[in-house]
Amino acid sequence: MSTDSVNYGQIFKNGVFGENPVFRLALSLCPAVAVTSGVKNGTLMGVAVLFVMVMVNATVSLIRNFINPKVRIPSYMFIIATWVTVTDLVMAAYARDVYKQMGLYIMLIVAFAIVLSRAEVFAMKNKLIPSMVDGAAMGLGFLLALALIGVFREFLGKGALWGVQILSVKPLPIMILPAGGFFAMGLIMGFLNWIDRKYFGGTGASSGGH
Amino acid sequence: MKETIKVTLSLVVIFIAAGLIMGGTYMKTSPVRYIAEQKEKKEALQKLAPEADESSFAKEKRKDWDLHGKKHEYYEAKKGDAIVAYIAETAGKGYSSHIQMLVSVDGSLNIKDVNILHHGETPGLGDQVEDRKLFLDQFIGKGLSQLVLIKGETKENIQAITGATISSRAVTNGVRDAVQMLVDTYGSGVKSAAAGDKPAHEVKHEHR
Repeated sequence: MSTDSVNYGQIFKNGVFGENPVFRLALSLCPAVAVTSGVKNGTLMGVAVLFVMVMVNATVSLIRNFINPKVRIPSYMFIIATWVTVTDLVMAAYARDVYKQMGLYIMLIVAFAIVLSRAEVFAMKNKLIPSMVDGAAMGLGFLLALALIGVFREFLGKGALWGVQILSVKPLPIMILPAGGFFAMGLIMGFLNWIDRKYFGGTGASSGGH
Repeated sequence: MKETIKVTLSLVVIFIAAGLIMGGTYMKTSPVRYIAEQKEKKEALQKLAPEADESSFAKEKRKDWDLHGKKHEYYEAKKGDAIVAYIAETAGKGYSSHIQMLVSVDGSLNIKDVNILHHGETPGLGDQVEDRKLFLDQFIGKGLSQLVLIKGETKENIQAITGATISSRAVTNGVRDAVQMLVDTYGSGVKSAAAGDKPAHEVKHEHR
């Protein structure tokens, strides 16, 4: 699969649209519900995931010939845990201001299916640079998905965006509660599938093919 | 048999490498982190009592009190010889972490300010307790007997955040423990005012 002519544009399109982690692969839905009560939360989480995914994909790709296929899952888990811990420790010491904003999210990333999934599906079979690009693309797709759900929920639930009050009323307070997260995600996913079917002749979400 | 050894070896090498990387990072970063946290705490203390002399918060002026079996510190913020505030470190058990706070009270033991130092509550839900307008500012000016968490509208007591009752309760309880301790320690003059209605218990219909 690792050819010399890798289409990076295709990888990005795939990560953001074709195989969007949340809306297409339906992976990592737990954090997608938990942290998207606001645009800011969703975006910060997305940034943290993007960074970890690039680093994990790079590491897995670099040592893919060393990882024994029989124990590759534990190997991925350890690589992910290492990067998450290192990120957490370094940020806590040297980037206090960012850490105060994002520290809560960092440790959650260990359990994200999407990180593990890309290590297995892509990084294990591809060279370093394409793997890093795939990590960035998938991370970006995740970030955009969380931000979109965040916009939807924060605007309807609080009448605000990025913490700035826009409406003087709260149109639908349930949207910021966990139940609202499921509503928001389901409605957006359905809407995107509808667009896909109607205008692009797609078949809708792949229902977690990976 | 040979295969087993190969698999084991591959895993062990990865584990050791990962362990070394994490351990090394911890060794390098933890002193920097400690210094940064101490500095932040000092700044937080000074922000709670800007008019106090800096020496009020010096190491030898600290006093200890026990909360949940752990030592917490408290300070007398003085300007010259006059007391401008009492500040206590405190904590409350939230949904997924201990919420650590600083509470400052004035000479008559009403709350001047509450400052959350550190917590690990759920982003988007529990972390709303850090929101000053939504939650924290309610504490300002309240006395011991008013520190009761209510689900629903209240001006007199503390109003819980919808969807974050456990975190709200943790903050309220932590603050109340600290104020209780300060009243017990310094409250000889004001105790009579607070003694009438003992605080302590949350409103009964307030369940999780």
